[in-house]
Amino acid sequence: MMRDCWFFLKLFKPYSMWLVTGIILSLITSLASITLLSLSGWFITASAMAGLLSIDGNALAFNFMLPAAQIRALAITRTLGRYSERLVTHEATFRVLAEIRGWFFKQLIPLVPGRLALMRSGDLLSRMTADIDALDALYLRLVAPIFVAILGVTAVTIVLATYAPIISITNGLILLVAAVCVPWLFNRLGNEGAERITVLMANYKIRQVDTLQGFADLVANQAYGRFSAFLQQFSDRMIHTQRQNNRLMGISSALTFLLSQISFTVALVLAGLLYTENQLMGSEVALLVFCVLASFELVTPLPQALQMLAKTQKSALRIRQVAELKPTIIEPQQKVLLSQPYDIQLRDVCFRYSDQQDWVLKNINLQIPLGTKLAIVGASGSGKTTLLHLIMHYFDPEIGQVALAGYSLSQYGSEPLMTCFGVLSQRSQLFATTIKENLLMAKPDATATELEAAIKAAGLEKYISNLPEGLNTWVGESGVKVSGGEARRIALARLYLKDAPILILDEPTEGLDSETERDVFKALSVFAIHKTIIMVTHRKAGLSLVDKVYRMEQGVLSDYQK
Amino acid sequence: MHLTESDNQTYFDKNKAREKICAVWLKAQAKTAKKWLYLAVSAGVINGLMVIIQSAILAYLLQAIIIEKLSITVIMPYLWGLAVIFVVRSLCVYAYPVWGFEVGAQVRSSVRQQLFAQFLKQGPSEIKNHQSGSLATVTLEQVDALEHYFSRYLPQQMLVAILPISIILVVMPVNWVVGVIFLITGPLVVLFMALVGMGAASASRNQFLAMSRMSGYFLDRLQGLSTLKLFGLAETELSNINTMANGFREKTMAVLRIAFLSSAILEFFSAIAVALVAVYVGLGLLGQIHFGPAEHISLHEALFVLLMAPEFFMPLRQLAINYHDRAAALGASDAILVILEKEPAGQLTSIDNLKSNVHHLIEFIHVSKKYDQRTVLTDIDLSIEQGEKVALVGESGAGKTTLINLLLGFEQPTTGCVLLNGELLTQTKSAQQMAWVGQGAYIFHGSIKDNIALAEPDASAERIYAAAVAAGVTEFSEHLSEGLETQVGERGYGLSGGQVQRIALARAFLKKAEIIVLDEPTANLDDTNKALLLDVIDKLFKHQTLIIATHDPLVINTMSRHIVVSQGSIS
Repeated sequence: MMRDCWFFLKLFKPYSMWLVTGIILSLITSLASITLLSLSGWFITASAMAGLLSIDGNALAFNFMLPAAQIRALAITRTLGRYSERLVTHEATFRVLAEIRGWFFKQLIPLVPGRLALMRSGDLLSRMTADIDALDALYLRLVAPIFVAILGVTAVTIVLATYAPIISITNGLILLVAAVCVPWLFNRLGNEGAERITVLMANYKIRQVDTLQGFADLVANQAYGRFSAFLQQFSDRMIHTQRQNNRLMGISSALTFLLSQISFTVALVLAGLLYTENQLMGSEVALLVFCVLASFELVTPLPQALQMLAKTQKSALRIRQVAELKPTIIEPQQKVLLSQPYDIQLRDVCFRYSDQQDWVLKNINLQIPLGTKLAIVGASGSGKTTLLHLIMHYFDPEIGQVALAGYSLSQYGSEPLMTCFGVLSQRSQLFATTIKENLLMAKPDATATELEAAIKAAGLEKYISNLPEGLNTWVGESGVKVSGGEARRIALARLYLKDAPILILDEPTEGLDSETERDVFKALSVFAIHKTIIMVTHRKAGLSLVDKVYRMEQGVLSDYQK
Repeated sequence: MHLTESDNQTYFDKNKAREKICAVWLKAQAKTAKKWLYLAVSAGVINGLMVIIQSAILAYLLQAIIIEKLSITVIMPYLWGLAVIFVVRSLCVYAYPVWGFEVGAQVRSSVRQQLFAQFLKQGPSEIKNHQSGSLATVTLEQVDALEHYFSRYLPQQMLVAILPISIILVVMPVNWVVGVIFLITGPLVVLFMALVGMGAASASRNQFLAMSRMSGYFLDRLQGLSTLKLFGLAETELSNINTMANGFREKTMAVLRIAFLSSAILEFFSAIAVALVAVYVGLGLLGQIHFGPAEHISLHEALFVLLMAPEFFMPLRQLAINYHDRAAALGASDAILVILEKEPAGQLTSIDNLKSNVHHLIEFIHVSKKYDQRTVLTDIDLSIEQGEKVALVGESGAGKTTLINLLLGFEQPTTGCVLLNGELLTQTKSAQQMAWVGQGAYIFHGSIKDNIALAEPDASAERIYAAAVAAGVTEFSEHLSEGLETQVGERGYGLSGGQVQRIALARAFLKKAEIIVLDEPTANLDDTNKALLLDVIDKLFKHQTLIIATHDPLVINTMSRHIVVSQGSIS
């Protein structure tokens, strides 16, 4: 169960100096706090006794300057200690978290696009932000308090033992119960409720989304009242489960509190008995009682720490799940260098997404010499897009081989391989940056003339000249809204700039109006004159661009008459 | 990244005003659970008062044991007293969070109810503009994020007002110098914390901005990761991600540094107060100080005031710990208020100034509809009679869907009005009298039977079966092992578009409504299926008023009346 957390603790390693420093500062602060109260109790009692002994009201035999100074020093140590401890522990934690974010993104790179195609980006985002944020508890609330509790309790027990072993033992035992048994017991008792709440929340969410997505049907059928009453009941059930968990927590903290009170009362009685037997001095009685009273500060964070553990662990698991996915393709040990001519050859290719699923592609054979222009038509779900993905090496075929320039795709590194392909699909990915930056992604060192040519080829001139900031206009989430047609034209300009020898067109004009569609095909027919075109479509328009048309039907490729 | 500092400033100012609105709203919500709030606070107050008594007993016991050397048997009653206090305090420690929880629970329940009612008030057209997932997040996670504000922060805020004052009242008669020390350090703490807090507010907005930018940036890059890879830029992007993540860390630390500073101030004053009290009473006991009541101080009094010093600052320290609960609730209430504040577009026009003596089944009088600046319908006059078969024809974007939404009461016209049986049409009235099958009829999580009986959950099995047969649902459901009991919807059996249409038609048929409204019933169907469906429609709704929005010539031909919608007008 701790495995998920261990995994991340290993990532903390480069920062171990920070982490150790944080724990030491934290320990110093806690001990200063305990000592402050104990010493104050001791000092006052000692003063009282010294004051009583001196009849003339002048107890000079007692050196009060030193303890008074110590008390002030401890007060300052506690304050500075707490401040610097927090700075150090949090700085350390957030440094680690920043690194984990980068690490997470790095793990994703080989998973794209084959493996991650099935995950929603919102879900990935929450793993990369909220779940990684939740890992802060790992050190701040779990590791650090546990170390401080162990070391602090040991120190207190040793100090107490030098005065009165019996009090040291009773306090040690009660602390042990409060620090280990109570949290352990209530963690076990609370486990079921915590799990139930997770399940309830997930189910509530599904019901709520269902209700909202079918909202119009519910209203029109007078059923919304029934559905929302049901959700309200569901909410009550969630709240009731939380109520039970909360009660358990309440009992746990009441119990911890009671233990601390029992411990100091026992210490008080024992110290009193030792005092009457002259085994302790009067001032030491106060010191011991106050020390016992303050020592519980060390263990109070622990029950909460264990509660956090479950949540932290779940986040850790969610991050690990993604990071440990196996990429669909493995980079070869020895990479073959790409060379002309970029002929593609598919031999007896069979493919399915997993052993349990049906074959998506069945025995595909296809020769695509450089400059070939072909289209594949067929119903959605027939395997057209999968074929494109195999050609771009998102996946390896289960049987057969896809080859480029005479070598199997699996012999090339994925980065150089990607330079061969230009892609235009129904989803034109624009990034939240300027139009210029978006274009430059295709060719970072493009000159102004090249940019201009690309814009012209894509028919973007008018659009851009109408924007007040021209090429420097921000697009994407925080920028100007770009229509689907304009986005496709920007993608087309990128395709032009990249100037790759093989063009992969996946429903390139899906969702466009007929004018834009015509423009896109016109631009392609000029620009792609010497390039390979592999187009997938279910529209008749655009077939003039190609020389040969195939039909895909349930994973089987056959010739098709135009 | 591309936002300048002055952009930030305007963002902050807007944010500040917004925060105030949210804070007022939050306070108002607590009214629904006043009883529990007061109960929780009284548990806290009793606990606080018990601490005072307990400290007095403990201080006395130490004096009795150390100075007066009394035996255990003599002090036994005091030990019993302590035991009683322990029990009472334990109960308070338990009751305080338990009762506090109820405050949050009631508020959450009531806010959910408000949200559900608000969805209905806004109507389906408005709800469709939002992502269901993010609305669901508001009703679940954001509402839950209010809990700790009500269960922890609010009661603690009241304790801060009560407990320190009680302690001063008790300490004053015992030792006025110590009382004055408390009186001076207490307000100083609050003052300094407020000063630091002002800096914290702006830093925390800075951090909030950094966080939302970071999320936005990550989402952008995650969505575009395959494109980045295609351009060979994935590795380059890694360094941007690291820069972004480290920027976020710096902003977060800037906030925390201030937060820590403010708790350090609290810590400092509380430590200084303990030290001052200890040194003052200690030297007084030694006879080294003659100021105030120092000379006549007893060990009992001295220890008592010493024990009171940390307790004096305890409620404030706890409040500081709970402060982030407030920030979380403010953030959540912003998201909730965005929904609750929204007024439904278009208002119901008063019927007084309308002369409608002629009773048509449905009547549109001078109806116009605008969305912001865009006019969708202009001055529509239209009446439909009982039993008519009407085809609403027009290009997509001509205003057909808006017309239907007005007819169903999902939206209200900007000007003019829609009458049903001579009365002003509302969402409720139209739901009672019309059955509607939209373009994408929704199938809910549940059985096919549940889905057919949506409008009439208590309908008999025979009637549901009859509707299923009539709409052709049984043609495919018979091949399923569980027939009409088969689970469909999310995680259920996947239905084809045609099958969904038929379930929706059965739903409409079972409802026995007078008016049937169908929106593009033949979209996504091939010719054979179209003919079958039209046959079913004809059979099912022979006697009802039928209104079909379509641009399918096959459908148009079967209807007796054609209304052509084009560019917001009809002909």
